[in-house]
Amino acid sequence: MATPLLAVEELRTYFYLSGGVVKAVDGVSFVVNEDEVFCLVGETGCGKSVTSLSIMRLIFHPGKIEGGRLVYRGKDLLAIPEDEMRKIRGKEIAMIFQNPMRSLNPVFTIGDQIAEAPLTHFDLSNRDAWNRAIEFVSKVKMPDPEMRAKSYPHVLSGGMRQRSMIAMMISCEPSLLIADEPTTSVDVTIQAQIMDLLLEIKKRRKMSMMLITHNFGLVGEMGDRAAVMYCGKVVEIGSVREIFREPLHPYTQGLLKCLPVGFERKRELEVIPGTLPSPVNPPQGCRFCPRCSLAMMGCKLQEPPLVAQGKDRLVACHLYGG
Amino acid sequence: MPRLASLKDTVLRLLQYRTSFAGLLIVLGIAVLAVGAPVFAARGFAETDPVNRLLPPSARYLFGTDVLGRDLFSRIVYGARIALWVGLLVTFIEAGIGVILGIMSGYYGGIVDKLISAATDMVWAFPPVVLALAVVTMIGPGLTQVVIAIALTSWPAFTRISRAKVQSLVNREFVLAARAIGESDSNIMGRYLLPNLVPSILVVSTLTLPAAILYTTALSFLGFGAQPPTPDWGAILADGAAQLRVAPWIATIPGVFIVITALGFNLLGDGLRDILDPKLRI
Repeated sequence: MATPLLAVEELRTYFYLSGGVVKAVDGVSFVVNEDEVFCLVGETGCGKSVTSLSIMRLIFHPGKIEGGRLVYRGKDLLAIPEDEMRKIRGKEIAMIFQNPMRSLNPVFTIGDQIAEAPLTHFDLSNRDAWNRAIEFVSKVKMPDPEMRAKSYPHVLSGGMRQRSMIAMMISCEPSLLIADEPTTSVDVTIQAQIMDLLLEIKKRRKMSMMLITHNFGLVGEMGDRAAVMYCGKVVEIGSVREIFREPLHPYTQGLLKCLPVGFERKRELEVIPGTLPSPVNPPQGCRFCPRCSLAMMGCKLQEPPLVAQGKDRLVACHLYGG
Repeated sequence: MPRLASLKDTVLRLLQYRTSFAGLLIVLGIAVLAVGAPVFAARGFAETDPVNRLLPPSARYLFGTDVLGRDLFSRIVYGARIALWVGLLVTFIEAGIGVILGIMSGYYGGIVDKLISAATDMVWAFPPVVLALAVVTMIGPGLTQVVIAIALTSWPAFTRISRAKVQSLVNREFVLAARAIGESDSNIMGRYLLPNLVPSILVVSTLTLPAAILYTTALSFLGFGAQPPTPDWGAILADGAAQLRVAPWIATIPGVFIVITALGFNLLGDGLRDILDPKLRI
């Protein structure tokens, strides 16, 4: 039933800084299926955003995609020339950024900006592109679309700007929408609205969505499947339900314990001891080992591979016979 | 299509900035003089009349006549054409070279930036008048030579300002977003970054334009630019300098026009940035 849309295989993206090589993404593999919401979860700095930017091939100096394959509909995105990749960006795979305040061009009206992608990808006249922009402004549920399309970004609220950004990114009806923490900079009520909107668009268009977040609440609410990342590596992949019911990797368990549950006040939230290791010089063996309460002898020596654990479930931990 | 602020909007806002508005009036006034020169001028700018030499300003000869009996008013009016034309042409060439290099420098960074910046620094260090003198010595005097010489030495102002502006914009997420919808580098530079630079470019233009006029008039004054009987203000001033004691108006009037024109552009530039900023507009 699940057909893979995008398969990320052993993706490695390094940044060459004067202080050393930052292995931001170091051998990440996962599959995003057609018509699903795939979540990429992890702490700040674990390589989630770099993974998504790598999928778009938007990594610039001093960063470099060092290896792996990005198989999208049977085509390796890392092997095609840049101008072919440009035709994929926006039209096949689009991306919503974290900060709607900074993601819009201050000197153009949002209608112009939404019209830009269709103008680039389809053979449209300016008038048609403008009409399409208005259509998408109304699709993201902004009131009075014809007037809103003529607004400059600075007169819009954060939620409105994020809606404009969404309209801009879905205006070519992509098959995969990458949403990189789309709601971190808006408040909670808007967050709920934006997420509902995204889900609705996803359902209507049968598009896949890759949601990048550190918010487990969002994952539980929206996700079909999820991958948990730690320090440039995927530590666990599975359906969201399974991960919530029975987290396998100690890191996932730790993350879930950090979440507040209901109105319980007495229980103190747990924290994972220690801090994220330096990505320049990651620990030997399992990268989570120094912070892991269940660490064993072998953990320091050997890096655990990602192995299947039950149906459609992968985990990288020595506890599970890796 | 992306469009910038409507013209009507800009003009309305200009009214609120008094000094800029005064500047605009001066610039428009000079422009009207230049465009309508054949209408305003009573006589041809090269028409001599030996009988009426060195007449002081009067109702018939508004600005008097010069040593060859030419009507000074007509010459000044035609001179406005030259001043504006030279100013615009020089600024246009400068902005063209400077902005393209500046955007590339800021956008690509790295070795491209280093090369362009080095070239900019080198040219910046070169005085326009000296280069103009060199060009004139090689291929003879003339306005064209002067225009080329000034344009080729003054573009770094545009490069500097565009580079700085682009550097501050290029890491903004809207540029990343543009890439994410599949825009090419040249499209991003031309359609996303350039429009953001327009206010700065216009403001710099209001500084380089009068500078270009001043340089040309200076070179014409020295005899390297416009050749007789071309009524360049600098050339008229030079003619008048010889008769300063007998007919002081000949030198004074073009001088005043040069000052007023330069002042007009500078005043206009003063508030232009504020006026063109879309953030101050609803």
